[in-house]
Amino acid sequence: METNDDQDIERALLAYGERIRFRQQLAQIHAGLNMESMREEAGLYRDETVQPGRIRTFWQTYRTTLAVAASVALLTTFGTIFLYRQYQQSHQQQQQYSLLRRDIQAIKSSQKQLLNDITGRSRALSVNPGQVAGTGFLLTADGYFITSNHIVQEADSIYVQSQKGEVYKARVVHSDKEHDLAILQLREDSAFQPLPTVPYSFDGRSSELGERVFTLGYPREEIVYGEGYLSSGTGYRGDTVAYQVAISVNPGNSGGPLLDERGNVIGIISAKQTTSEGVSFAVKTNYLFKALESIPSDSLKGIPLNLNRKNTLVHLPRKQQIKRMQSYVYQVKVFKHEK
Amino acid sequence: MRRSSGGVLLTDDELLIGLASGSDAVLTQLYRRYFPMVLHFVTSNSGSEDDAKDIYQEVLVVLYEKVTHGSLELNCQLKTYLYSVGRRLWLKQLAQRNRHFINDTEAVVAVDDDLTDHEERNRQFDLMTDSLERLGEPCRTLLEDFYTRHLSMQDITEKFGYTNADNAKTQKYKCLQRLKRLFFSEYKQ
Repeated sequence: METNDDQDIERALLAYGERIRFRQQLAQIHAGLNMESMREEAGLYRDETVQPGRIRTFWQTYRTTLAVAASVALLTTFGTIFLYRQYQQSHQQQQQYSLLRRDIQAIKSSQKQLLNDITGRSRALSVNPGQVAGTGFLLTADGYFITSNHIVQEADSIYVQSQKGEVYKARVVHSDKEHDLAILQLREDSAFQPLPTVPYSFDGRSSELGERVFTLGYPREEIVYGEGYLSSGTGYRGDTVAYQVAISVNPGNSGGPLLDERGNVIGIISAKQTTSEGVSFAVKTNYLFKALESIPSDSLKGIPLNLNRKNTLVHLPRKQQIKRMQSYVYQVKVFKHEK
Repeated sequence: MRRSSGGVLLTDDELLIGLASGSDAVLTQLYRRYFPMVLHFVTSNSGSEDDAKDIYQEVLVVLYEKVTHGSLELNCQLKTYLYSVGRRLWLKQLAQRNRHFINDTEAVVAVDDDLTDHEERNRQFDLMTDSLERLGEPCRTLLEDFYTRHLSMQDITEKFGYTNADNAKTQKYKCLQRLKRLFFSEYKQ
């Protein structure tokens, strides 16, 4: 142990001395260097190695960044290709869809022109230039009223005009954006007189394909009758909320009732497909029920909303059905801020 | 590139053998051959010429001590090895100066083990410097004369005015024992 330590300390001392000696030797050699020629040679390194060196350095310094960038680039590329293909696949329908939106725009513009006709006749309608019009009908004789949400959304004020020309102010009780339904109340306008019980009832069951259907609406100032048949149990692009109906409707028909042969309301007209003739859509009555259920009770302000269950149109011929219904279908006029 | 100003151009092996045998001429040739590389590396990575000198001499100390201990395993060109060691040493310096980016100009090999050894030897060296400091005179000079300046016992006897060489030897032995205590009390912790 003792001798081991002795050897160790001697070795350490020798190494220590050796390093001092070596360093002195180095210092001596360095002192004898021609620094000028060393610098020159160092400059040659620059010329020779900087080019590949710079690339390598760049790589080593930025490889993490580069990896991230490359991943992002890859993702973006494939993402774009994927999205583009998706777009191509759905392109046809996309176009129809956007046209469908424009269709709603068309309601506005066509009804703006309509406004020119009526300006002289109705004091209320002459005030505001920005407006939209559609159709709606009574849910109950005491003033509950249904129309399409896209007609009354962002409205400043809503008026409904009966087939006889009586105008009432309406309040939005509930709007269901998801199913494009809006429930209004007319009774707050003191001029509104409750009508006899509504002649039609509401049928939430799924209707059969081929069912003969008809509608009443206000694509223009006069009430217009249209008839057709139920062509599909689903709506635009497989939308289960709506039916597809082969019926001729126009801007302004939105919110109108869709009735079957016996006079049951099976849907509410909402939109049409512009690329095909006679392809219209109506929100199923079942979703009207759902919308009614979701109305908070205080929105009703104590007026119960009970749908008519007794259908008095069943055995009537069509002309009589229409005649009985006319006074329950209203034109909806909406005033908005001009955007 | 490997132009050397005059003299025979030695291979890596010849350089290493010459270095181990302590040849002044070989060391000079080695020094001159690769200093420009390190000079360029350090000065193009925010160092001065003095920094380059310090780094390069440290690199050569590493190489020299590895060679003399027979523990050098060279798996690449000597140039690459020297560059790699210098690079690591300079990186460490830069880290102490809070800089981290360097521009490489040469290929790099892993020299971690070599530098761990080197740091251990640095610790020993610093500890020895410190121990000799604390040992005081005349012991320090006596030991330095014998072990680092390689004076003979006769020279030392005369220099320190001992009556005879045996006396000097006894004195040296006592000094060595004291140094041993100082050194190992720290080193073995």
